[in-house]
Amino acid sequence: MPKVNLTRREFLKVSGASLFLAGLPLTGFTKDKPPGTISVILLEGGMDGLTAVPPFGDPNLLKMRKGLTPDNYLKLNSFFGLHPSFKYFGGLMAKNNASIVHATNFPYTKRSHFEGQNLMQGGGLSPFSETSGWLGRALDLAKTPGRSMSLDMPLVLRGMSDNDNFYPASVKGSSDLMTQLINSISMSYAKEGSEIFKKVSKKSTQKNSIVPRNPASLAKFAGKAMAQEGGPLSSVIKVDQFDTHASQGSDEYGRHGKRLTLIDDIIAGYKEGLGDAWDRSIILTLTEFGRTVFENGTRGTEHGYGSAGLLAGGAITKSRVISDWPGLSKKEQFEQRDLMSTIDYRSVCAACIENALGLDHDLIADKVFFSPKLPRVYNNIFS
Amino acid sequence: MNEQYRVAQKLGLMFQADTPLPDDIKAWAISQLKAKSPALGISRLGAKVKPWPKSLQPDLMERDTMFANWFQRNKIGDSANASNAERQANQKENLMREKDQLKFSHRNVYGKDQVRLRFASFWANHFTTGDVHDNQNHIGHAIDEAILANLNGDFSRMLYKVTSHPAMLIYLDNIYSAGPNSNEVKWAKQKGEQAGLNDNLGRELLELHTVSPSAKYSEEDIRSTAKVLAGWGVFPGMLWGNNKITVKQKHAKLIQMAGTTDTWDFFKRDAAEPGTKTVMGKVIPKGKGGLRQLTDFLAAHEHTVNHISFKLTQHFISDNPSQSDIDYIANAWKKSNGNLDQIHRAVIERAVASKEPKFQWPMTWLFQVIRLSGATFFLGWDQVDDYDDSIMATRKIFEELGQSFWHVRQPNGYSSAKSEWLSGEMFERRIRFADAIYTAGKPSFTSQQIMNRIGANKTTRELVNSVAGRKEQFIALMCSPELMGLENA
Repeated sequence: MPKVNLTRREFLKVSGASLFLAGLPLTGFTKDKPPGTISVILLEGGMDGLTAVPPFGDPNLLKMRKGLTPDNYLKLNSFFGLHPSFKYFGGLMAKNNASIVHATNFPYTKRSHFEGQNLMQGGGLSPFSETSGWLGRALDLAKTPGRSMSLDMPLVLRGMSDNDNFYPASVKGSSDLMTQLINSISMSYAKEGSEIFKKVSKKSTQKNSIVPRNPASLAKFAGKAMAQEGGPLSSVIKVDQFDTHASQGSDEYGRHGKRLTLIDDIIAGYKEGLGDAWDRSIILTLTEFGRTVFENGTRGTEHGYGSAGLLAGGAITKSRVISDWPGLSKKEQFEQRDLMSTIDYRSVCAACIENALGLDHDLIADKVFFSPKLPRVYNNIFS
Repeated sequence: MNEQYRVAQKLGLMFQADTPLPDDIKAWAISQLKAKSPALGISRLGAKVKPWPKSLQPDLMERDTMFANWFQRNKIGDSANASNAERQANQKENLMREKDQLKFSHRNVYGKDQVRLRFASFWANHFTTGDVHDNQNHIGHAIDEAILANLNGDFSRMLYKVTSHPAMLIYLDNIYSAGPNSNEVKWAKQKGEQAGLNDNLGRELLELHTVSPSAKYSEEDIRSTAKVLAGWGVFPGMLWGNNKITVKQKHAKLIQMAGTTDTWDFFKRDAAEPGTKTVMGKVIPKGKGGLRQLTDFLAAHEHTVNHISFKLTQHFISDNPSQSDIDYIANAWKKSNGNLDQIHRAVIERAVASKEPKFQWPMTWLFQVIRLSGATFFLGWDQVDDYDDSIMATRKIFEELGQSFWHVRQPNGYSSAKSEWLSGEMFERRIRFADAIYTAGKPSFTSQQIMNRIGANKTTRELVNSVAGRKEQFIALMCSPELMGLENA
């Protein structure tokens, strides 16, 4: 069971997570229904892969970042450990249902949050080059454009013709939505407003379901929705505040560790909500960059390059840490400050799309990431 | 909409029914830049509009003292064991977030300086801060004193005052940053402790607040900027909250640290990086004066002018700014050496000339609906901590709206582009808020009266006349293409 039990107010204040559901199969295409579901956890601010998955076998780790590395990590193999915040995730690894990709990132090295976030969601060749997102394009290709579900639509899902967001509203004094009124408003719009009010109208005909606003419950809700016949094939949960320039902490009670716990809770929530559908599900994390190898002057870290990606789901049948470890010594670092990225994370995203949506790698490489030569890493993750 | 309301929607917060409409709307909008209006509000529902009481607008020193007192009392009382009543009393006495949010809302609803307030919100968003760590008593002060109070001066001054304000120094982690060769770092090394540089504010000062990545500065420029900023901080909260020493002793310690007791001018010499620094080719001298030289250099930089001219155009004129509009504003900037009155005047001229509708932020729309309808949707300042059966707490309103300058969010702030706001989610909220404003806020005017007053277009009239029920008509009006700023009037 998810561990966090935040009140709604605390949640809104401290965690800032939001959910988006996407990819309802179009009617008429049900025979071609894709084999699985794909969920993305967006980690805004830059997750520290060296804290999340400490490479304790690297002699430089403790020399360079003693204050950022947990003592009580879980040993994964002779080289890599797992942060104590990932108790649930560790259990999934033991059950061969989770893996880690380390020293990886989208090919972006400029260390700006906003360029990096745009690139990791847009999946284009340079920041701000795309107005749609890689997941949206993949869902389009799989003929499940469809609806997606938060207060703003993340770029990663854009590209579908008919987006819909989901986040429960609680406005005192307002009554149930009036379908006929909303239809009238919708009809008065000539342009984009019309479609959007139609979505509100459609929602007004569905019975209210109350969703608690903490990340784990959102994940559970998403899992349940995706498990239903004809339910969405994709979901995105956004978690912010990984940008720990100061007082980052090392263990599960530190600032970064608490964010890592949220990831753990979200994955646990998904597993619970998905139920039997877990077996055909893949969940992956995405972050704009890792953090510097060195600890800065305020017990935190600056923006870096390589990080780690977490993968979970029944679609994984053998747990492993996938890495071509670049080393942490000064000359092995990127620009003598960051963990180098040796695996293009777009390849990891492509493998997850291939698994969940049944698309061919070459098609994904070309049409989703505009990089026909993108290496295929499917067998490293799913075989 | 008639021309007055069309311009008030784009550049202001809409005219209240008792405000006479100006004949020359452009001249009026420009004159608004210098409008003098105190923070107006109401003490209780139904009370007359009056200026906010001085006692609820403490200065920065009082705000820090209050926060330190809150912290001590919260700790001493062991917050887990404290009664709800005690916790509420402590919050009521010492924390400013709820009061500042209400003051901001009142000001926007009742203010006579609507165009000024819109520009203030633009800059409050450009210089995003948020309620992280110990920041909640600072944000309202930064909006009023660093932004609104500097709205008629040069951009360079606003930039300096915002960069050195506690709200920004805390939000972007500069308060503990120390130069790599500073005394503080030397002493920390001797003790085996960690101290040194934090580049968060330096990076965003370049990327977001001034030149933007188009200037192609290097990682070294970011580090040099952080070195100029090292030392800029706030009072140590522990010292301020320490009740075992006298105020006089506290002042002596502050003067020893920074030569001043002013927390908005607090440069800790022992954390400063010695020597000159070079940022984008500009040599910045050591010491406290370095920051002003750096911010002046950045404020006048061509990339800053272009970057912010684009942002102003996108916020007030068009989602897809035309180069001629951007150039017009950039030229006014350059010609006036960054005088905000001249820059804002250029924005007004172009916004009035452009007939393109502009989709408004959730909070702007909310204030406009309330002003148009004469509803009362915010509690009075004497009711900040009261529960009301029909009207939501101010904090809740902004939570549900999905937008507020107090929210914890990324430092690039809220987008001015409608693409970031067009979603079923957001539109559902507008319907619900229009409903709540009608139901709880009891508008003074009917939809017909409002339509007549603003000169609503045919589409709006047909829409409103096609639905039955006064509440339904009100919702339809406020969510119409015209009032949402989505389609042409």
